Amino acid sequence: MPRQPYPAYRASRTARAAGRPGLRPWPTGLTLTLGLAAALALAGCSGGAIGANTPQSSGQSFVSGSGTSIYKPGSRPLAPDISGTTLSGAHLKLSGYRGSVVVLNFWGSWCAPCRAEAPGLAALATRLESRGVRFLGIDMRDDPTSADAFMQTFGIHYPSLNDPGGEIALAFRGSVPPSAIPSTLVIDRTGRIAARVIGSSSYDSLRKIILQVLAGHPASAAGATP
Amino acid sequence: MSDVTDTGTVAREAAEAEAAEEAARDAAVQDVPFPATVRRGRGGWVRWGWRQLTSMRTALILLFLLAIASVPGSVLPQEGIDPSAVTQYYDAHPALAPLLNRLSLFSVFAAPWFAAIYLLLFLSLAGCVLPRTFRQIGSARQQPPRAPRRLARLPMSASYLTALPPAEALASARRMLSGRRFRLRTGDGWLSAEKGYLREVGNLLFHIALLALLVSIGLGGLFGYKANRLLIAGQSFSDTPVSLDVLHPGRLVSAADLAPFSVTLDRFSARYVSSGPQTSEPETFNAQLSYTSATGAPVRHYDLRVNHPLTVDSASVYLINHGYAPQFRVTDGKGKVVFNGPVPFIAVEQSGLTSEGVVKAPDAAPTQLGFAGVFLPSAVDVGGRLESDFPAPQNPRVSLVSYAGNLNMDSGVSQSVYQIDLSQMHRLPISPRPLAVGQSMTLPGGAGKITFTGYRQWISLAITYDPGQFPALCSGVLALAGLILSFMVRRRRLFVRATPEPDGRTLVEVGGLARSDAAGGFEVEFDELTAELRTAQDGSPAPASPDSASPAADAAAAGTIPEATSSSTREGE
Repeated sequence: MPRQPYPAYRASRTARAAGRPGLRPWPTGLTLTLGLAAALALAGCSGGAIGANTPQSSGQSFVSGSGTSIYKPGSRPLAPDISGTTLSGAHLKLSGYRGSVVVLNFWGSWCAPCRAEAPGLAALATRLESRGVRFLGIDMRDDPTSADAFMQTFGIHYPSLNDPGGEIALAFRGSVPPSAIPSTLVIDRTGRIAARVIGSSSYDSLRKIILQVLAGHPASAAGATP
Repeated sequence: MSDVTDTGTVAREAAEAEAAEEAARDAAVQDVPFPATVRRGRGGWVRWGWRQLTSMRTALILLFLLAIASVPGSVLPQEGIDPSAVTQYYDAHPALAPLLNRLSLFSVFAAPWFAAIYLLLFLSLAGCVLPRTFRQIGSARQQPPRAPRRLARLPMSASYLTALPPAEALASARRMLSGRRFRLRTGDGWLSAEKGYLREVGNLLFHIALLALLVSIGLGGLFGYKANRLLIAGQSFSDTPVSLDVLHPGRLVSAADLAPFSVTLDRFSARYVSSGPQTSEPETFNAQLSYTSATGAPVRHYDLRVNHPLTVDSASVYLINHGYAPQFRVTDGKGKVVFNGPVPFIAVEQSGLTSEGVVKAPDAAPTQLGFAGVFLPSAVDVGGRLESDFPAPQNPRVSLVSYAGNLNMDSGVSQSVYQIDLSQMHRLPISPRPLAVGQSMTLPGGAGKITFTGYRQWISLAITYDPGQFPALCSGVLALAGLILSFMVRRRRLFVRATPEPDGRTLVEVGGLARSDAAGGFEVEFDELTAELRTAQDGSPAPASPDSASPAADAAAAGTIPEATSSSTREGE
């Protein structure tokens, strides 16, 4: 039988029929199976959840306090100018707070980690008010009755924007999107985001962050990184 | 019988030659056990390593490893799926948990060692498929082989005499075969023709499409995301992490990459079969949505139905489930309303949509209140017990068990809205009685009151964005097409030899060979081709030659030698 000289190549041991067209180093079916299996494996490995934020499992990361990011002056993203209706029915705009350090807290009365951090936030809001720090809550996926009861329980006197549908949270898409409830943003006097805490914030660490932002000069915020 | 022996010999010869070649090749690439007597340079080791990696054995081992590696992912709680379960695991096993965390066992599918396994597997697959693809390209461009010397020994052969001189006989065969899109090669007094290269094209297509499939599925894993959200009628949500129930982003997806749409559920209606054997089966679901594709964009409307997803900004929103959300008003012991709204209840059976859920009032005073309830859309009394006999709300009732105490929410540990932590709650001494809409239940001991104020429906939405979906579909279709092509098309060869006879005429010999397992049917085509050649050249039957091949040729042309045919098919692959 005359045979066409086959192109020289290094065949693997499995490539037994090397040189003939239509050779099969692997059986086709097996290749297909392995390919699909590998593809499924790849597809299955698509990273973890950013945050499971249901009322059923609030997005508290299991390593508490690991979710703090501090932005240096100069690299602080500009906070969007959110506005909306507060739980008490007033219209409120974030840009109305320009010139003050603002602590923005995303919360819900259904969320257990929010309840844990609430006493600390209430205390900080009262103590730092005289130093020009303003607190603003964003009440997510809540009904006003429960939210009102929550604020009464924890003695929270600062206002909260009602955001049942997440539109206010969506406005932070271009800057620092909150990835869990609760999340806390500290905004400097120029309206830029200086820090973000994901998960329950503690009184001490949040106080330290706020004091740092308070101490920072507004001028340096627009200037170079230290 | 001599002819059969003859072809048998050919087959044997071929098999022997083949075996020898293979043995030589195997020897060349034989994996000599370590330490090898064969010295390998650096390049040699690299080649050896590559061959090992791309061998089927390695791929199987990797696949097996991948399967084993995903076991802890289903045994241990996973951070990406249920972070609160991981927290609970930490509490239960304070010594073991940090160790497991160091081994990434709480996020198996994001672990470096897991990534290593599947990347190696991918490399192994690519390393097998790519070189194969190049070989396929090479073989697809191959010329037909030279014509064998003795065509009569081929599984299919025929011969005839013609008055045309050899060159003209060949030229006429050439014209005819090239008209039939055979690939041709000519030599001194012979002609080789081959057809069926599409088989290689199909093979090639299959392999390239397979790789493309892998890549596109990988694309989805990197840039896609999946999310879920339960939405009660009248509520809205936005496609941003805090507004979603669960979000599984791809490896390269951040919160800013999510399509910025918002969706409101205006109305949900479900129709059920009300009679006949399929009673209670759902007939239609329709969720009337309003949505904006971005903040400030115009509001659009969409009727979301099963398998009729809403596509916004290349993300798809599917309707996957539905249920009831009874509404309650809870007044605490001090007369303050502490809860007033709907609570999603989850169906525990489908024929009557009996649903269960809980109501929590963590801000009730003097003690926190909790209720575990059952919602019956169409309550009927079955021997003293209430059951729901139809999924539509014909006679909605809710039955509640009341608890007071500490809901354990203020410690900060996340809990499910569908469950009450009863460890620090006590059941209030009041027997549950079914409430109709508007009815209340006063709790004993001045703990408060709960009113069933109405009900709404909820839907569950799955949001998926998979940029690899369409490419994966295309590759899948192409792979299938390639596979079918390579199974359907046969490689077949036809050889013609023209030799002058002493009487001035020309002896034309024709031989045929089908080259694939899928053979069968070429005999017919061969006979047709031969007949056509013969007619074109005005040939007459060849005289019985002293060569023993002639009877075989005639017989083969008539297609009566199955042994010969089968010995040819063996040649195919």
